[in-house]
Amino acid sequence: MQISNYMTHEHRSCDGLFAEAEKLAASGEWDAAEKAFLDFANETLKHFKKEEEELFPAFEAKTGSTEGPTQVMRFEHEQVRGLVGKIAEAIEKQDRDAYLSLAESMMILLQQHNMKEEQMLYAMCDRVLPPAEKSDLVEKMEKVEL
Amino acid sequence: MFQNSGLSLDQAPPISVVFRFFLAGSLWGIAAGIWLFFAGAPALEPSTPEALILTHMLTLGVMLSFMLGALFQMLPVLAGVALHDPVKAAIRSQYPILFGTLFLLSAFATASGALYAFALLFLGIGLLPIAARMLSRLYRLPSHSPSSRGMGFSLYNLLLLVAVGGWMLALLGGWMQRGDLPALKQLHLDLGLLGWIALLIVSVSFQVIEMFYVTPPYPKRYARWMPALLTGTLTVEFVAALNAPVLEPWIESFAAILLMVHALLTLRRLSMRQRPLTDATVWFWRLGMGALAAAMLLLVVGNLTDLSTSLTMVLYVLYTSFALSVVLAMAYKIVPFLTWFHLNAQGYFTAPMMHEVIHPQNAKRHLALHSTTVFVALVAAFDPRLWPLAGSLLCASFAWIAVNIYRAWHLYLHVQKTGERFDMGSFS
Ligand SMILES: [Fe+2]
Ligand SMILES: [Fe+2]
Repeated sequence: MQISNYMTHEHRSCDGLFAEAEKLAASGEWDAAEKAFLDFANETLKHFKKEEEELFPAFEAKTGSTEGPTQVMRFEHEQVRGLVGKIAEAIEKQDRDAYLSLAESMMILLQQHNMKEEQMLYAMCDRVLPPAEKSDLVEKMEKVEL
Repeated sequence: MFQNSGLSLDQAPPISVVFRFFLAGSLWGIAAGIWLFFAGAPALEPSTPEALILTHMLTLGVMLSFMLGALFQMLPVLAGVALHDPVKAAIRSQYPILFGTLFLLSAFATASGALYAFALLFLGIGLLPIAARMLSRLYRLPSHSPSSRGMGFSLYNLLLLVAVGGWMLALLGGWMQRGDLPALKQLHLDLGLLGWIALLIVSVSFQVIEMFYVTPPYPKRYARWMPALLTGTLTVEFVAALNAPVLEPWIESFAAILLMVHALLTLRRLSMRQRPLTDATVWFWRLGMGALAAAMLLLVVGNLTDLSTSLTMVLYVLYTSFALSVVLAMAYKIVPFLTWFHLNAQGYFTAPMMHEVIHPQNAKRHLALHSTTVFVALVAAFDPRLWPLAGSLLCASFAWIAVNIYRAWHLYLHVQKTGERFDMGSFS
């Protein structure tokens, strides 16, 4: 369960950052909201990078397919990246309604994505990868920088 | 946003699959309101044909439609793979269920054996294959979450529920002698209301409450075992119904306490949520879970002493409020999200944002209407002159959501027709 635990923990901590930013934007504290949203975006994009550069390739190597689940996950990352850009625009314009609306889409999209990963992908990684390789992988992911 | 459509759409079923079920559910809600308006208090008295009709309009019509729509949407997310050809699968279960329900309602009205048999046949055709397919999908998951486990158990209860319905029919028709009708009826009720509807909602809440509202998780062991414990309890009730019907109320009370605990745990989590906004869906959940806790308490009390007719009606109203509130909470998230999601994934620049599909203010007004409906129905339990008013309000409430779903669908088609789309040829 090493991979599941590590990655799921990251999902939850991103959720916390997201909620923080949303709280600030909802109350119109735009400077603080911008900072908090940047924290969320950085953590999320770093998490995506860990997946795309370390976890997915390891999974693909083990299962011998580059299409299928990892491909879908990469595509969904692109969708989230698109929304990150749009929310940043909403912050720039201090448009509360747009922010909250986009945030809602982002939240559902991201949660669906996380559910699939936690339910399927991480669980499969934990099953197919040997323990030594998993420790190695977590170590490498720890070192990933944006 | 540079996107290639295909992939993500392979995962999510076409929007029409979900919307067709939601719209059908709303139309049944309107019908139930009209029925309550004309039938009045007899629609709430146990075992009258009027009451059987109202109950099955709400369960087979409203709840089943919304629940199947939600399952079609959520299973690919939970199970990773979409059902093969979801549009065909949806149509193949929706129409038989529609006809089966109509046959059943007419059977209640006329007590005709042939109509009962047709009802069972069509409902079986509509429900059993899809439930079995969904169940086998869930069964093959490499790992389980409380949510996927709960959905599996609730589908299993659904299968039992249909079987017990068939059994009751066989007794009524005189084709079979084994079994005691009142005991089976009790079992049918508990499998349907507690084991299928409530457990499916419990399973959804395991996922949705924690993730969408960013709350502390449900206690781990509780979430892991609750669906199995509830289902086990109902299976024991099955055995008791056949061999020792006197034990049924005790077993039912235990199941009710489990659900009451769940309602309280959920209310607690909602009050600890990190997302700041009190949009309507939070209150729909609160209203629903509050009603569930109260309904289950009343159910337990009713098993210890006899409830007055009015209190029995209150129990009915509370349980219904629970189920309908959660349905509305889900609909107000799912409908705008899917409209945005599908158009966005298809590459339309002009994809409307969620708030442009259904504005939060609109959902808040519906919340006010829905709360009024619940309140009037509760008072009507003590003053039967109010039932027609409760019926009209129920009708208005479902007309409201029907219009919202229809508008979202219309907007979706409109954007598809007129919207500018990212040219996929220039990407990749
Ligand atoms: Fe991911
Ligand atoms: Fe992830």
